[in-house]
Amino acid sequence: MNLNDIILGVNYFVLGYFLLINGVYLILYAISFAEIADYVRREVFSGLPELFTSNYAPPVSVVVPAYNEEATIADSVRSFLTLHYPLHEVVVVNDGSKDDTLDVLMEEFDLYESDQPVRVQLDTAPLRGVYASQTERLIVVDKENGGKADALNVGICAANYPLVCCMDADIILEEDALLRIARPMIESSEVAAVGGIIRVANGCEFEKGRIIQARTPSKPLPNFQIVEYLRAFIASRTAWSKLNCLLIISGAFGMFRKRDLIAAGGYKHDTVGEDMELTTRIHRTLRENNRKYRLSFVPDPIAWTEVPDTLRVLRRQRDRWHRGLIDTLVRHRKMLFNPRYGAVGMIGMPYFLLFEFLGPIIEILGYATFVVGLLLGAINAPFALAFFLAAVGLGVLLSTAAVFLEELRLERYPRWRDLFKLTAYGILENFGYRQINTLWRAFAMVSFLRKNQSWGSMERKGFDTNKTKGKPRKPENSAGLEETEPPDASNRAKRT
Amino acid sequence: MMILLNVLMVVLTLGIKGLRSVRQRTTKSRKRRLENALENSIFSDETDPALLKLDGRDLDLLASLMIDYLYVLSGEQHDRLVRLAEEVGLVRRYLEKLRSRGRWRKARAAENLGHFGGPEHIDPLAQLLSHPDETLRAVAARALARIGTPEAARELARQLGDTSELTRLRMAENLERIGASSIEPLAEVLEKARESGEGRLYGPVQAARVLGQLRAAEARPALGHAALFGENVDLRAKAALALGKIGDPDDLPTLFTAAEDEAWPVRAQAASSLGAIGDLAAIPVLRNLTLDREWWVRLNASRSLANMGPEGERALTSLLEDDDRYARDRAVATLEERGITRRVAEELAVPGERGDSARAMIRAMVRAGATRYLGRLANTMSDEDARLALRKILAAETS
Repeated sequence: MNLNDIILGVNYFVLGYFLLINGVYLILYAISFAEIADYVRREVFSGLPELFTSNYAPPVSVVVPAYNEEATIADSVRSFLTLHYPLHEVVVVNDGSKDDTLDVLMEEFDLYESDQPVRVQLDTAPLRGVYASQTERLIVVDKENGGKADALNVGICAANYPLVCCMDADIILEEDALLRIARPMIESSEVAAVGGIIRVANGCEFEKGRIIQARTPSKPLPNFQIVEYLRAFIASRTAWSKLNCLLIISGAFGMFRKRDLIAAGGYKHDTVGEDMELTTRIHRTLRENNRKYRLSFVPDPIAWTEVPDTLRVLRRQRDRWHRGLIDTLVRHRKMLFNPRYGAVGMIGMPYFLLFEFLGPIIEILGYATFVVGLLLGAINAPFALAFFLAAVGLGVLLSTAAVFLEELRLERYPRWRDLFKLTAYGILENFGYRQINTLWRAFAMVSFLRKNQSWGSMERKGFDTNKTKGKPRKPENSAGLEETEPPDASNRAKRT
Repeated sequence: MMILLNVLMVVLTLGIKGLRSVRQRTTKSRKRRLENALENSIFSDETDPALLKLDGRDLDLLASLMIDYLYVLSGEQHDRLVRLAEEVGLVRRYLEKLRSRGRWRKARAAENLGHFGGPEHIDPLAQLLSHPDETLRAVAARALARIGTPEAARELARQLGDTSELTRLRMAENLERIGASSIEPLAEVLEKARESGEGRLYGPVQAARVLGQLRAAEARPALGHAALFGENVDLRAKAALALGKIGDPDDLPTLFTAAEDEAWPVRAQAASSLGAIGDLAAIPVLRNLTLDREWWVRLNASRSLANMGPEGERALTSLLEDDDRYARDRAVATLEERGITRRVAEELAVPGERGDSARAMIRAMVRAGATRYLGRLANTMSDEDARLALRKILAAETS
């Protein structure tokens, strides 16, 4: 066997791998297509306005970690308080901010020192105090700095209601997002957690913390990410949810049952992918306890977030995401190919191992041997074409199919111009953007082996074009009670 | 092949948007035409012949238009619209569609029958209440609530024990929407649970909640029994809460007993209800409940006291000197939360008995450790004399 044979062999292997991965994606798309079609038809009869005015819907606690958010925290909390839901409270956890986040909240919401006990059932940094608003259903827990996961854990413990919605402080939610995300949990007690779709806010028009019109941004990088998010959320997570293999409920916007979060041990402090790790751990805990359960994804409760618009910041984000993925796979390796964990162990985890974790290495190997093979003349023209079509052609098909699915069922971008742009970016992303991402993810493996635990920073420019939002923030490190309705028993105060 | 597939996908994406735009335009013009014919028929009392020749999608379009009109019309015009639906064949069309195999056709038919149908359509709609699809059950419940007769309420009440929480809450919502006609079937659910000993099921709990929302005084005996002898904690708690919403002082003895229940949710709801009734005779019981071992009971009891006027406030203020630290903390928090502290602080510079009582209360609050909020008031109150007086007390008591 000479060098040419080896190169050819590797190329055949990579070609097979590309065909397999894209085949899997096509299956996921088919499932998502059917699921979203059903969801959209169901939505016509959902009766959300009735649910909004219902006196019988289970109450929700919205947990918002905040670290150095003085410039925007008041607006964010106000927008969370005005979400459409029959009964919800907002629990802000001030994660030892060094700025005036707490003072801003005290002033804006007329907070008083509350004697409300926080039954700390998860491992957290020490608490400094609990404050409540005289006029709003708002609780502010002040604590020492411990990071986002730590702040979320405190918020979960302080939550008074059985359903807990965890979200980032700088996310913008559509008014009925809580109603939509809570619906599967109300519908079935088997649903332990629900993830919602995250969309790209860059370029959209916002006013007073609400979206006025969805638009595509002018810069190319966020446009690539819009297509990427469509693929990941609409075309992929919907299918994983149907297979009950959903392994990520985004930390930016997800709803859980408090009892399950506590039982699973809350968020882990020592990981950079705390959302994926928690989702996987919930699967693991519930499976090990022989609970019949589902983790769902709803393609419609919309949360808007700003995405990186420079390569430098995007690289850091992708590096962190991939380290989070590897960390989760390592921690929960016991679940891999283990029938005890059902579809998660036999389909979900293997998929993430073979295609998400190993994907970058195999893809880079493929590109490298392809170039070498061409130079050495080991690869003939028909094979080169087949390789190109498998590597790029199928990728283009998947990207444009995601845009098609968006337009067919969800129609979030009303302008023709935006649709043209997204279609074009769906094609273009396969010529450079995807390959850069692959490279970053491969580097993330090295970064993981070096035990890098950093989050990196994300410079945000703010949503509201009508207001000055202050200097760019670094939220990555951040982490009124109904008198007549006692909440779930798990929050009972203990006198001792 | 691959290139063709890609081109096809792009064409499909753009084509869908194009088709949708064209369809929106044609629907708009058809709608305008139908609207004219519909208005002629409503206001002239003679059915426009154009409406009698409609079929398929035009009929559905007409139905959606008529539903819009139903929301804004009342009296004679409303009745005329319902008769018109019968005349143009909408009722027949949706009754037939109710039997179709497609879920969403059934749902559309049920939704529209709720608007145009009458008591004679309760049976076919009630059958959908046990359909495996939750959305279909919800649509049927909504339709029955629109018909709103006691029979419709009875059908909904039967489904209060559904295993899906969403279905239960849909039934409860719609029973509440029906109003007084729901009271009897709901009370029957409670009675039946009492006789059969099925108090652990969801149905009676939801029934108690709806009866409370409806302020159903007729159901007081059944609720009173459930509050004291209900098998499950949730039922006893919801029944106690319902009694508070009804607000009859004759239920005080029942609530006093509920306030001693071994389960804290029942005590917490009893505390709320005693506050809602507002009878001063409840003050000693509420004061006792502020010493409860459970925070939620203390919270509701102290809030109830704060709502009971000067007598309640006095009882709450007296807790500032209590030996129990938890009771003191809760009293302080309630006084701050309800704006009583601010109001009293503004009276600090007032001479005479009012000022004395204000000064005594603020001193007690400082001794109870409530200095942070008072400190803020000392800097923000508009009355300078009151501010100075408050600073003086803070300085004296904390030194």
